Amino acid sequence: MQKFIRALFGRQQSGLVLVIVILGGILTLFAGSHPDPETGLAVNNFLNSYTLMQTATNASFIAIMAVGATMIIISGRIDLSVGSIYALSGVAMAIALRAMAPLGSLAAISSGLLVCLGIGLLCGLLNGLMVVGLRVHPFIITLGTMWILRGIAFVISKAESILVPDPLTDFAKSTIGLKPGLYPVPLIVMMAVTVVGMVYLAKTVAGRHIYAVGGNMEASRYSGLRIGGILIGVYMISGLTAGIAAFVGSAYYGSAACADATGYELYVIAAAVVGGASLSGGKGNAINATLGAVLIVLIRQSVSTLRLDQNYEWIIIGGAIIVAVVLDQINSRLAARRGRTI
Amino acid sequence: MKWIKVLLVAVICLSIAVIAAVTSEQVGASQSVRKTIRIAMIAKSSTNPVFLSSKIGAEAAAKDLSAKNGINVVINWMTPPTEDGQVQAQRIAQAVNEGAQAILVSCSDAAKVTGAINDAVARGVPVMTFDSDAPASKRFAYYGVDDLETGQRVMVELAKLMNGKGKIAILAGNQNAPNLQKRVEGARKEAAKSPGIKIVNTFYHTETPQDAAAKVLEAMKAYPEIDGWAMIGGWALFTKTLLTDLDPKKVKVVSVDALPVELSYVDKGIVPVLLAQSTYLWGYVSVEKIIDRVHLNKAVPQINKMELVPVTKSTLGKWARQLRDWGFTDVPAEYLKLP
Repeated sequence: MQKFIRALFGRQQSGLVLVIVILGGILTLFAGSHPDPETGLAVNNFLNSYTLMQTATNASFIAIMAVGATMIIISGRIDLSVGSIYALSGVAMAIALRAMAPLGSLAAISSGLLVCLGIGLLCGLLNGLMVVGLRVHPFIITLGTMWILRGIAFVISKAESILVPDPLTDFAKSTIGLKPGLYPVPLIVMMAVTVVGMVYLAKTVAGRHIYAVGGNMEASRYSGLRIGGILIGVYMISGLTAGIAAFVGSAYYGSAACADATGYELYVIAAAVVGGASLSGGKGNAINATLGAVLIVLIRQSVSTLRLDQNYEWIIIGGAIIVAVVLDQINSRLAARRGRTI
Repeated sequence: MKWIKVLLVAVICLSIAVIAAVTSEQVGASQSVRKTIRIAMIAKSSTNPVFLSSKIGAEAAAKDLSAKNGINVVINWMTPPTEDGQVQAQRIAQAVNEGAQAILVSCSDAAKVTGAINDAVARGVPVMTFDSDAPASKRFAYYGVDDLETGQRVMVELAKLMNGKGKIAILAGNQNAPNLQKRVEGARKEAAKSPGIKIVNTFYHTETPQDAAAKVLEAMKAYPEIDGWAMIGGWALFTKTLLTDLDPKKVKVVSVDALPVELSYVDKGIVPVLLAQSTYLWGYVSVEKIIDRVHLNKAVPQINKMELVPVTKSTLGKWARQLRDWGFTDVPAEYLKLP
């Protein structure tokens, strides 16, 4: 089994995929079943197309942001403001589209996307400029912008949950030929962002520079890398992914509010770390961050699927994150030892 | 050392499997050949005591209705730990995917969950709301207080206590909850009718007792002129802080909700009037309505209004005993003895 998974995903991902597969297996075994309302046949409560698609959808908003956050973490920095960027982008988009109404479908979707991406980039640029320019620890800067940006979202939305135009929801909840009730767009966007993030990090010079900065900043400086520019760039990418997630999330749920994605920054960081990104920098990748998000969402979902006491949800998620990271570290140490032996 | 990794994975999986097996056995033991009706209950937040009492009510109704109708009504508590409309929408979808026969939800953000409710209804799962409605959705019924009237009632009671004049503040909870927005609107409308009453500000906060109490104290420092509080939810009174930090001679308070922990505020005269929502009935009555609709095929009105119960010093004993009868175990014994 592990050999098969390793062949499919490579050594780095095989551990995570194995844990996801095992957890999925347990959920399938113990989730129970219910009769299908149309056919009357027994349907497994977990292993059915609707639940799997829903799990992927729930993971997608976190995973998309985790790809950007992983780049920040690889560079040895942190971004606590992604949840607030999500909220501000969504709210700004909803307000802008309300002001521009009526718009045709294509115009509404493209305008909404542009606003979200623009706000996300702008917030990322602001974070990057302050981290580089003020030379204050990114934890403090992004802690500040986390509140500032959510505060702006609160003020401009007047605390209302603002509906987005129907064409956006129709787009995000398009079945693309699948059964009614199956909405693959968030999953497709998550996969696209993951692939782009993977290629960017592994195959481009800019991506390798991020590893270099996170791995050894002094060496990177002496090598002539423009550290400030690279850092501003990664914060802009993080803002951009938060903007993409906001667009997909607000369109999918049909509204945007200043309280959206509250606390998601911690899920996003957890997804990146569970995916093997090192908080000290220099290590991590996009596909692992996505797998980390899937694993976290699966663990969260398993609490209700297995009918465990909901009051234990936080304990289970927290415990699982620690175990996953410890497992990953053991795996890395073993790999390093094997490397030395060879 | 590879065995350590395998062992750790095995331990996690085994732990989950054991818990799942035990839980499945418990569920299995209670199920017989009788028809099972599984109701997914999704309140706003599992850390808010009012929703825990609604859960107790729903479970009691499930037990009573199971015995009465020869069926097996099961409540699946799927409430998120903190308020999040997006997570609620996800859990509505999850409940449908896992074969729930009905869903009962108190909406943290009506706009956010409306799509999920409509999807559930489209897939044949009826949805009922309680406490906080999603009126634009295809839910078949709502049970709860009329929020506009609740806000007005709070202000009427407060104005009476303040003889129609004074500077007041509104404690308003989560700014995104549509039911709370309506209550604030009601309170403001009513205040506008009394020329002597001036609202200095409306204070929003995270709906936890400590955050709410801290917000009250912070506001009292910032606006020392406040001599009345219209609390449209009881969060701040779930702590003991305000028992000592509010001077009943200077500040009058009227609040919605009357859970056991709040009763001492009435007793000590700090909050002369609590307007109780029968939170236990949120669960109990809603489950009755769902069974009427799903099992007994009875017509259920779309709006099912809950009446507020005023709790004052003179009705404290009666209300305390009511709470005890509803299964609350933390009702102070001294109030149970009152006439």
